[in-house]
Amino acid sequence: MINTVLVANRGEIACRILRACNEAGLNSIAIYAPNDAGTLFTELASRSVRLEGETIADTYLNQQQILAIAVEYGADAIHPGFGFLSERADFAQAVIDAGINWIGPAPQAIEMMGDKMTARMTMKAAGVPVIPGEEIDSDDEAEMVAAIVESSQRVGYPLLLKASSGGGGKGMRKVEDPDELVEAIMSARREAITAFGDGRVYVERLLTGSKHVEIQILADKHGRTIHLGERECSVQRRHQKVFEESPCPVMTEGLRSRMGEAAVLAAKAVDYVGAGTVEFLLAANGEFFFLEMNTRIQVEHPVTEMVTGVDLVREQLRIAAGEPMSCGELMMRGHSIEVRLYAEDASNNFLPAIGPLAIFRAPQGPGIRLDTGVREGDLVTPNYDPMLAKLIVWAPSRSEALQRMRRALDEFVVLGTTTNIRFLRELCDNRDVVSGRTDTMLIERVWPDGWHPDYEETTLDAALMAAAISESAGLHRAVVAQAGIESGPTSPFQTLNRRYP
Amino acid sequence: MQNEFKVGGEKVEVTVAKNDEIWSLGEYSGRIVGDGRILITAADGQARFAHSAKVGDTWWVHFDGHIFCIEKTEPGSTDNDSDGGMVAPMPGKILDVKIANGDNVAAGQLLLIMEAMKMEHRIVAPSDGVIKQVNFAVGDQVQQGDVLVEMSE
Repeated sequence: MINTVLVANRGEIACRILRACNEAGLNSIAIYAPNDAGTLFTELASRSVRLEGETIADTYLNQQQILAIAVEYGADAIHPGFGFLSERADFAQAVIDAGINWIGPAPQAIEMMGDKMTARMTMKAAGVPVIPGEEIDSDDEAEMVAAIVESSQRVGYPLLLKASSGGGGKGMRKVEDPDELVEAIMSARREAITAFGDGRVYVERLLTGSKHVEIQILADKHGRTIHLGERECSVQRRHQKVFEESPCPVMTEGLRSRMGEAAVLAAKAVDYVGAGTVEFLLAANGEFFFLEMNTRIQVEHPVTEMVTGVDLVREQLRIAAGEPMSCGELMMRGHSIEVRLYAEDASNNFLPAIGPLAIFRAPQGPGIRLDTGVREGDLVTPNYDPMLAKLIVWAPSRSEALQRMRRALDEFVVLGTTTNIRFLRELCDNRDVVSGRTDTMLIERVWPDGWHPDYEETTLDAALMAAAISESAGLHRAVVAQAGIESGPTSPFQTLNRRYP
Repeated sequence: MQNEFKVGGEKVEVTVAKNDEIWSLGEYSGRIVGDGRILITAADGQARFAHSAKVGDTWWVHFDGHIFCIEKTEPGSTDNDSDGGMVAPMPGKILDVKIANGDNVAAGQLLLIMEAMKMEHRIVAPSDGVIKQVNFAVGDQVQQGDVLVEMSE
């Protein structure tokens, strides 16, 4: 049994989990850093508790403070979401030691999968295929550089350097030219030390032209481990996904069951419990290789929910409470696509952007789901990840899902902060995206000199006219006044005072 | 009414006329609706809504799925954007400086590496030129908008 869930996260994923708790009739506790006061997720919990401190280390990464709040307010489960403490085995252990349910796998499983070199070795031993490459067993800078340089001659170019503690593209470097190797090692090591406090880096062959395909896993404490089909997340920039879909356009029943079996094998090799994802690279010839296992809920989990009808977060809550998972025989239905809306300048190397969300109007209509933690009027700050929202569509077929996504992105209005909305919209028109020939190099291949928005002169003319009308009419003041109490005939405050005969 | 704007680095003068509640510009006509959106009708009769919001001096306009940043400028103001300074895109820390004062650089050449949001960002030369001034050293904290490097072409 679980009664009260503390959500040790913020923003979009905290909203997702808190809403699942509300639906399940569970009490919930949100924790928030002072600079998150008043944001959406703090309003969705039964109780919101302010964290002391200013930096991320003092707040969302502060294990002692979070545990103290859980104990003080009687939480009997902690959901870590993704990022932050979600893959910290020491935190999972501390939660369990405090007599609180950890909504995730056992600390041992997190540890084995969290260290990428250990995971590679575990998977090799379990008979799951891994990418050609070599583990580097040294943390000393000079030794490590020498070992990687030597190993690079066996692995071959192009190669990929990866931080053993890496994630989200951090500490990862593509190297095409042996002359660039040493500088790339130093850069990857620096970034890994800053981001993870662990500078160990290893080498894998860069498999060009391959797809990133991952299998969703659910395992309960009653011995049942199942897979829920795949997600394809090939389209990435800076090694971060921007466009995800299920099913994968080139998937066959046979390949799905082979990859699904390998994923279940991987999960069982570490006695996995809860929701997890096994990531693979799928080569053009149908061969697939283990990349890593994410021992948590994933950003792109909604596309699996849309095609399987399974509520993954509700299942996480059930499994943590010791109940069997509720889903029976699965059937994948239709097609789902997710795009990630980032505050970033797609026309300038995808640099993160900040600013106010002066207007934030999300699309509506059939088959559309928006997972977000922001609202109109919020500020996008450099304090946290620049992901603003996930826009998810479902439709009976892939081509209809793409049509729906185009329509939804055209309707999406975000003003005041630079976003990648237009980039995502043009991505949906790209020939290779339309035909499903997506691979991990797609963005670099399609826009080798960077992306720039393409529009008709007449569209700019209309926009200039809108700016001129807005300026001449003092429209910004009109918009502000409308949000106030003394505004025009649609104000709810006037309706409240109206008397009807 | 006459307005001066800058969009994509170029100055534009836009004059709109108002007759009752209808604004016009060439073959377009526009009308502000109750919630602050602007209904723009083209010559062929097709009507679409524009959204606008002003942040600082810049109008952000959404029209037909496109977003434009249109800066309001004062009539007669001088254009001083071409000083070739490379500006910090966000607050962060300088990790590496690859050039020194007086260096000749080629377009696309790596000048600085900075860290922001726990990611490394590469600041590259926008064009061929000579480095006039490097304003920061390794380890320095920079604020958004700080000029990192000044270059002459």
